[in-house]
Amino acid sequence: MKEINKSVLKSASNSLLFDMTDEQYAVLEKEFTILLKQMDLIGQTQGIDDLEPMTFPFDVATDSLREDVPSEPLPRDVALQNAKDVVDGQIKLPKVVG
Amino acid sequence: MSYLDLTLADLHQALVAKKVTPLQLAAEALKRAKANGDNAFERFMENEAFAIASALKEPEANNPFWGIPFVIKDNFSTKGIETTASSNILNGYIPSFDATVVARLLAAHAVPIAKSTLDELAMGGSGTTGHKGPTFNPYDPKHERMIGGSSCGSAVSVCANIVPFALGSDTGDSVRKPASFAGLVGFKPTWGRISRFGLFPFAPSLDHVGYFTRSVEDAALALAVIAGSDIEDATTSHKQIEDYTRLLKKDIKGVKIAVISEVVETIRNKAVIAAFDETLTALKKQGAIVSYVSLDKQMLETIFPTYLTLCCAEATSNNANLDGIKFGPRFEGKTYQEVMLKARTAGFSELIKRRFVIGSFALMRENQDVLFLRAQKNRRKIVNAVNAILKDHDVIYLPAAPGIAPKFLESGDRLSDTYLIADNHLVLGNFSGLPSITIPIGFEDKMPFGGNVMGRAFEEALVLQVAEKIENATGYRNLSVKAVNL
Repeated sequence: MKEINKSVLKSASNSLLFDMTDEQYAVLEKEFTILLKQMDLIGQTQGIDDLEPMTFPFDVATDSLREDVPSEPLPRDVALQNAKDVVDGQIKLPKVVG
Repeated sequence: MSYLDLTLADLHQALVAKKVTPLQLAAEALKRAKANGDNAFERFMENEAFAIASALKEPEANNPFWGIPFVIKDNFSTKGIETTASSNILNGYIPSFDATVVARLLAAHAVPIAKSTLDELAMGGSGTTGHKGPTFNPYDPKHERMIGGSSCGSAVSVCANIVPFALGSDTGDSVRKPASFAGLVGFKPTWGRISRFGLFPFAPSLDHVGYFTRSVEDAALALAVIAGSDIEDATTSHKQIEDYTRLLKKDIKGVKIAVISEVVETIRNKAVIAAFDETLTALKKQGAIVSYVSLDKQMLETIFPTYLTLCCAEATSNNANLDGIKFGPRFEGKTYQEVMLKARTAGFSELIKRRFVIGSFALMRENQDVLFLRAQKNRRKIVNAVNAILKDHDVIYLPAAPGIAPKFLESGDRLSDTYLIADNHLVLGNFSGLPSITIPIGFEDKMPFGGNVMGRAFEEALVLQVAEKIENATGYRNLSVKAVNL
């Protein structure tokens, strides 16, 4: 497992596209000392690696499909109503390609 | 006496008898909401409430929600109404549709009066992390005690008699724990029983719609209105909805109730144990068969770390769309990554960022096998153990929390068995997706606390029956701050 230090935590938060202050990283590093002890309890469970991972409480059989009824899509002005920077019906962003 | 002090069922009778009108109720509910000082509301829906209530003229005797004012937790989408999930990253966000549960309540002619506060993005259990600050427990006039979270504002709305019903969501215990701290009925039906379309996802493998009422009968009435399959949510079940209200009165002779010894043993609060034992005696008197069963204590101590690992990992991914571009506050930057980084740095609180980093850490390639996958495997082990109990028993009954609502500055030992087990065992209901209801069972220092009944998947009727027998035994029906202080 990766060792916890400020650089690992900063790399994780930056890859999630946010940053924190030095004080906040220090709090998080301290929090991890307890969290890793708690998480270690799971690792001590006998036979844990023989089990199948559980992703949902139980299987829900989806045996129906939506009716194939034509409908109006979301109007452009409604789709864009929450964006703060809209030009000519499109969300404006900094240039991505050259 | 105000009509808002009645349960939903009794208020319905008053509406049908035309003793009060929906408009009068909406006006009174809004007045109470605005006068409330517990920081329970994101925004009031005065225009919408008055428009809906004014149009309701002829009462519908067979529709218990006709004209009933209600409150919506602010992580349910409401068409045309700002919905922030108490996070700055969503300030100004206006959904273009209603969540299915909201739509069903509106179709039943219920009257929404406000959106309520929550822990930011529903990720918390204290009711302190929303962007408007902490929400207070109305039972404590000194404002020293929390009401719990994340559905804090909805819990206040019901225990302060502002409305008889409020929507919440429950990923760990976010309805059932605040219900315990607020002397309320808090119900989280089976995963798939109620549509989650339009509920902001936190951890979809654990997220449930839940709600607060002041009686078990009201909880049964509400389920009949909002339950059922939804073409917009592929995880909803097609299982038939039962007549929960009629089944409520069935006796519980021969019903097998399991009590998990290792959970009870981690609760050191004598008042909680005494009240819990009294309810067990009452259940036995009514013919239920109560047995103590055992679960591996070491396994129970892994409930919290398993939950934290799974919910943070799921949340990290689910909230990646909160970018400050499609919605939320917009910042300038030379690249879109810079735009997002500035928006997310300013938009999320410290706690949310910490949770995202925990989730990201658990998902890192070097850690995934030993953290995330192991947590998923351990979830299966825990769920298998719970389901094994329910093969031989009809329900599991336990104290909902180790004590009354904690003070804001109280901080217990996070490695103690009381914290790891007694404070977090309600998560069993989220791991397993089983129906789980909290009901009030006692008081200490004028603060309420609850018990919790959990049953097999889609057996809500039986869970409600047992809960109603506990309610009958304690007499804590229609409990509220006002009723207690009379």
